Amino acid sequence: MATAMSCGVSSVFLLFYVFTSCLGLFSGGETFKRQVSVELNPGLTVTPPGGDLLHVRAVGDNDTLHFLFCSQGAPTLLLVHTNSSSSTVKVDWPLFLARNTSGSLRVEPESSILYSTAVVFSRLLEYDDVNDTADPTSDPFPPYELQNFTWSRLNLSGPVALLCGAASNFTNGSLCLQLSVFQSEGRGELWPRLIHTANSSQMGVWLDGMLPRANRSRFLLELQAVSGAYPLSRVEVHRSIDDEYTPSIFKVSQWVSSVNGSSDVLGFVQWKPVAYRQSNPALEDATPCRHSDPRPQSSEKTAASSGLIRAFYSEPDTFALNVSFGLAGEPFYNSTQFLSWTVLVGVGSPPVDSFSPLVVAIMAVGLGTPVVFLLLGGLWVCIRKRAADSTTAYEPIN
Amino acid sequence: MADYEERRSLLGDDDEGSFTSRQAARGPGRPMPAICDPSHLLHRVVVLLFMCFLGFGSYFCYDNPAALQTQVLQDLNLNTAKFMQLYAWYSWPNVVLCFFGGFLLDRVFGIRLGTIIFSLFVCVGQVIFATGALVNHFWLMEVGRFVFGIGGESLAVAQNTYAVNWFKGKELNLVFGLQLSMARLGSTVNMNIMGWVYSEVALAVGTGHTALGVSLMIAAVTCVFSLICALVLGFLDKRAERILHKEQGKTGEVIKLTDVKDFPFTLWLIFIICVGYYVAIFPFIGLGQVFFIEKFNFSAAEARAVNSIVYIISAPASPVLGFMVDKTGRNVVWVIIAVVTTLAAHMMLAFTFWNPWIAMSLLGVSYSLLACALWPMVAFVVPEHQLGTAYGFMQSIQNLGLALIAMAAGAILDTRGYLVLEVFFCACICIALMAVVMLYFVDYLRGGDLNQSAAARAKLQKEATSDAEIKRRPSRLTEGEFARLAPMSAFGLRNRYLSRLGAQLPDHCSTHLSSLAHRSVLK
Repeated sequence: MATAMSCGVSSVFLLFYVFTSCLGLFSGGETFKRQVSVELNPGLTVTPPGGDLLHVRAVGDNDTLHFLFCSQGAPTLLLVHTNSSSSTVKVDWPLFLARNTSGSLRVEPESSILYSTAVVFSRLLEYDDVNDTADPTSDPFPPYELQNFTWSRLNLSGPVALLCGAASNFTNGSLCLQLSVFQSEGRGELWPRLIHTANSSQMGVWLDGMLPRANRSRFLLELQAVSGAYPLSRVEVHRSIDDEYTPSIFKVSQWVSSVNGSSDVLGFVQWKPVAYRQSNPALEDATPCRHSDPRPQSSEKTAASSGLIRAFYSEPDTFALNVSFGLAGEPFYNSTQFLSWTVLVGVGSPPVDSFSPLVVAIMAVGLGTPVVFLLLGGLWVCIRKRAADSTTAYEPIN
Repeated sequence: MADYEERRSLLGDDDEGSFTSRQAARGPGRPMPAICDPSHLLHRVVVLLFMCFLGFGSYFCYDNPAALQTQVLQDLNLNTAKFMQLYAWYSWPNVVLCFFGGFLLDRVFGIRLGTIIFSLFVCVGQVIFATGALVNHFWLMEVGRFVFGIGGESLAVAQNTYAVNWFKGKELNLVFGLQLSMARLGSTVNMNIMGWVYSEVALAVGTGHTALGVSLMIAAVTCVFSLICALVLGFLDKRAERILHKEQGKTGEVIKLTDVKDFPFTLWLIFIICVGYYVAIFPFIGLGQVFFIEKFNFSAAEARAVNSIVYIISAPASPVLGFMVDKTGRNVVWVIIAVVTTLAAHMMLAFTFWNPWIAMSLLGVSYSLLACALWPMVAFVVPEHQLGTAYGFMQSIQNLGLALIAMAAGAILDTRGYLVLEVFFCACICIALMAVVMLYFVDYLRGGDLNQSAAARAKLQKEATSDAEIKRRPSRLTEGEFARLAPMSAFGLRNRYLSRLGAQLPDHCSTHLSSLAHRSVLK
């Protein structure tokens, strides 16, 4: 018995060891890395009026991703994917600041550009949900135009940039956007802990301490996606059984580009339909989000609101959608006066969550051990039986 | 009268005197109508009815928090970990108390008074719990659950003991199954009605902790009902004792807490199965409602319904499955089937988006099957005089598991989400699976009767009976000749072997003593 047990136990450990080492191989084997360098206001020595331009250059083996984040007008994140590891960004600052001609910001060589997409955080909408129905059309207040906000300087710490701003009629509080660019694959520290790759950047958006215009106010955020070709035109909602990193959220929404007749995705905006009412969230601070269908927008308006769009795109193609925070019955913004939401913007296919090593290991050990017990036990019984048979058999007297 | 015959033949020499005196006592007395005659089946059915309703209140109120999960979380502004404390606080007193529960019943209060006292605790606990909600003090609610727990689980021990006392040798499995059905009925009704009660109350007094308190106070009525059952049952049992002169409860039999160290290895394995299995059922059901809402986009009413399907299925399935297990034997195989099915159900919930009705129905069937096959096994591996202690200890460990796992489950859900929680439950089931596989082999190698078919058990019982009769007869047969007459059962063989060695056998192992008779009568 004891031997069988110790056998069982040691085989469990063996199994566990084999599994963990396999997982180690899997996860550690092939991570794609990029060299990330950050530059504020490239080519300019003084602080530009009207907002900073951040350029993050992420160089891969034979391609480069340019992340451009700018607060000239509405905060805009522009991603340009090139097939050369030596492509550069050129900014014609006087033209760029004038904000009336395209071509003032270029990625060179132009022929190396594979794909580009931009996300403009254009408006913050507020409505008075008197009857607690969470219907955004019920009683809207005039929207806050983010292009009219007073934005702070970009606060840089490594590959993380923080931008905060307030509308002129905010008595206090602010809307902040935090951009993170990554060297390699990983996962955010705080919920929703989105998985990211070196091909994506994460934007955290939060509304902190601002006084709502009604006690029962709820908010929406308008996003505009701009592309030269293949705009982000549809939102896919995938169900995922894995809520390990975002407890109780079993969905992931992806706003993707669609190339005619192909399932290839060139660029994406990905988020989980959850916002949090605390800066250091717990499960009960989660509040569900919904999004509207993306609709084509007037490109001229978008270009007018964002300096970066005007400067880079000559003929932009724009789609917009609203993300609304909170469902009927959920606490209102006023309960904590905090709301944070996180979104991933990147090129290529959106990253897909997979089971964590913890889950796989527990299931493997849990299912494997009874089977091992069964095999060992069966074997042991067979041996015992055979031994018993041979000892009780009649033996010749002589 | 058939039982008398049976009892006489089984109990052997010791019973001879009492049998005649009993005959004399009843002798010329007027014949009682069947329903009043404690030795008659009809009367036992009446007793069974009260026995079943004895647990109704406690089972109804046990799952009050689960039935009102969203309301409790919202009205009292709790997180999941704190919510699960309500379940943990129920379990904590039982960790100690269940250990003594059987002991208290046998030695201190006696089964009748004990049952009444525990029913009283259930009542008072629920009232405190409701008051806590009414005045919006969470700690008072925890106190209420604690007091409620003091009564609740010990009441289940009392219920089991009553069942063994009245029905041993007479479809005990079926009675266990039926009791479980009633208990589950209580839980089901609670799951599906409390939401409605709350909404009705909320219409009258407005949502918030007051509505919650009033709803819980209404739930307390069921506890009062159970208390009445305890009183009636006590009266009937007393009366049966007077008429039948049947020996009360466990008197004359020594119960020691030190019995625990004599528990056989197989019993410990049964304990592990019990803990591993139940911790993956009850805390899950406690958290189920919100899980179905969030993962499967169910409405609140639908989520409550699917959460209670386990209990709904369990109610009719328990007697049927109990009967089946009775007729087929092979308890260990049934337990293995139940555990594997449960594991499959939990994995379905964890790793697929399949309609949870499937998984929950599977869970319901396997859960009833396990209860029918597992709990009677205790009676096979320990002598009857340790049965109260063994059942008590089993529930005690179960409660320790439930308290710890309830807290762990809340914390896991708060930090890692439902997938990890489900995987954690799967791991618990896997531990139970390991234990039951081990139990199978240990029992097999020891030639135990846990996994015997019903036919083999009947044969064994017959042997034990004839064995006892042969011994009683002034026999000239030598032991060798005797052995040739009937093939010996493994049990008889072992005992005979030990007694020939001159080893001091505990009373219950001598073939002519009552305990053995009970043991073999118990199928």
